[in-house]
Amino acid sequence: MNKTEKALREIQAMGELAAMDSPIHRLAPLAKLLVTVAYIFVTVSFSKYDMTGLLIMILYPVAGYQLSLIPVYTCFYKLRIVLPLVCAVGIFNPFFDRGIVMTLGTVSISGGVISMLTLLMKGVFCLMASFLLVATTSIEEICHALRQLHVPKILTSLLLLTWRYVSLLLEQVSIMTQSYHLRAPGQKGIHVSAWGSFLGQLILRSMDRAAALYESMELRGFHGDFYYAGQKKMTAASWLYMVVWIGLFILMRAYNLPQILGSLFV
Amino acid sequence: MDMICFEDVTFAYEKENMVLDHLSFSIKEGEQVGLIGANGAGKSTLMKAMLGLISYEGHIYVDGQEVKPQNYAAVRKTLGYVLQDSDNQMFMPTVFEDMIFGPVNYGMSREEAEERVEETLARMGLLHLKNRHNYKLSGGEKRMAAIATILAMEPKGMLMDEPSTALDPRNRRRLIEVLNELPVTKLIATHDLDLVLETCDRVLLLDDGKIAADGAAGEILRDKELLERHNLELPFCLAGVRVKLRSDT
Repeated sequence: MNKTEKALREIQAMGELAAMDSPIHRLAPLAKLLVTVAYIFVTVSFSKYDMTGLLIMILYPVAGYQLSLIPVYTCFYKLRIVLPLVCAVGIFNPFFDRGIVMTLGTVSISGGVISMLTLLMKGVFCLMASFLLVATTSIEEICHALRQLHVPKILTSLLLLTWRYVSLLLEQVSIMTQSYHLRAPGQKGIHVSAWGSFLGQLILRSMDRAAALYESMELRGFHGDFYYAGQKKMTAASWLYMVVWIGLFILMRAYNLPQILGSLFV
Repeated sequence: MDMICFEDVTFAYEKENMVLDHLSFSIKEGEQVGLIGANGAGKSTLMKAMLGLISYEGHIYVDGQEVKPQNYAAVRKTLGYVLQDSDNQMFMPTVFEDMIFGPVNYGMSREEAEERVEETLARMGLLHLKNRHNYKLSGGEKRMAAIATILAMEPKGMLMDEPSTALDPRNRRRLIEVLNELPVTKLIATHDLDLVLETCDRVLLLDDGKIAADGAAGEILRDKELLERHNLELPFCLAGVRVKLRSDT
């Protein structure tokens, strides 16, 4: 199996995660979407030095992964390409912000280090929450939830088709790479002389397949609405899930809960 | 009553290269028609025209309604189209979700649609595929599932583009049985002339965008000269032994 095929399998495996059965999977997509958006909004709103306040935000992804029966390492494994980028976001902060804000024993810690760690935590938490949503909700359900929020059809269709076409593109790359290597033994990658025709063919083939796929959707009555993905209604459990989590997020943002808890013991 | 009616239909990708050349014919309700012709004869294009997927000159009527933008939804609900490549047809994660896609989009309640999907799968002997992920299906399974997705819409007529491609002999046999049990109008474009003999009463032979022959399947498919003139061969079952086995030499 070549690298492209592996990537394709990983994308397809996301569908399998979304098809699992767990308390989180059974919730209405709209509730999960709103909770995720609220979580991201609250998480990024913490100030750059408020690391202790931010710590408590890990509660949501941890509880989410437990309840959805999806191992956390799956998230980190699937996001292994993006995570280093997230970690790199605040890497220069320690050089620019050298003011000492705290000391641990004899070690002085600058504001830059704290803000770097805060940024890192924000990025990782948001990625974990987003992955939780995608791993427990199919793309059609997410699009249906977005339509319920009156997001224009053009945007939801674009999201859905991008998801579908990424798979198509990878499939084509995989077929063409395989065919290339069968006739170019011992070569690593695609030789530079073939790049032009390879890319050209890839675009033409992908466009053809994308058009055929869209035609197939149209022929079966698709016009931008996701009626077929709307079977999970807003039940009492979904409302409860949404209200409790959003309430907790507001509480976590308004009060520094780790500090309050800590002060009880000091 | 005519289910499909073509009146002087013309289509060309480039002006000088006619793909459909002033075609006129009709197919009655309940007829089983085989559409045969060499590669590039215009079989797939003809089917696409019927569904309004390409713009053509002339008039096409499906179940009394002209194929034009305001009627596309009704026409496409009336005529189910099984694509040549099942991978293009099966775009949802699982077989069940793919099958429910059409009926629900055409306004059926989810409960009804689920019932219909179950019925269709049972009729085709595919219940074991219901919750399978599409990308894990074999070529043959995918083909049968693709046909099932269209059958679940209970169309009045079915257009099938090379339905027996990628099927092993047993699945091909099963497909022939399913096709013969379907009480709908069928237009089957294929190179599998043996399948046409077993499933169709009438044959349209297309060559260079024109109808070269239109008649009873038994007559046309026995006419060796006619078939060879249009780059086809007699079906295997009628050709007798005409293959020289390598092991005999």
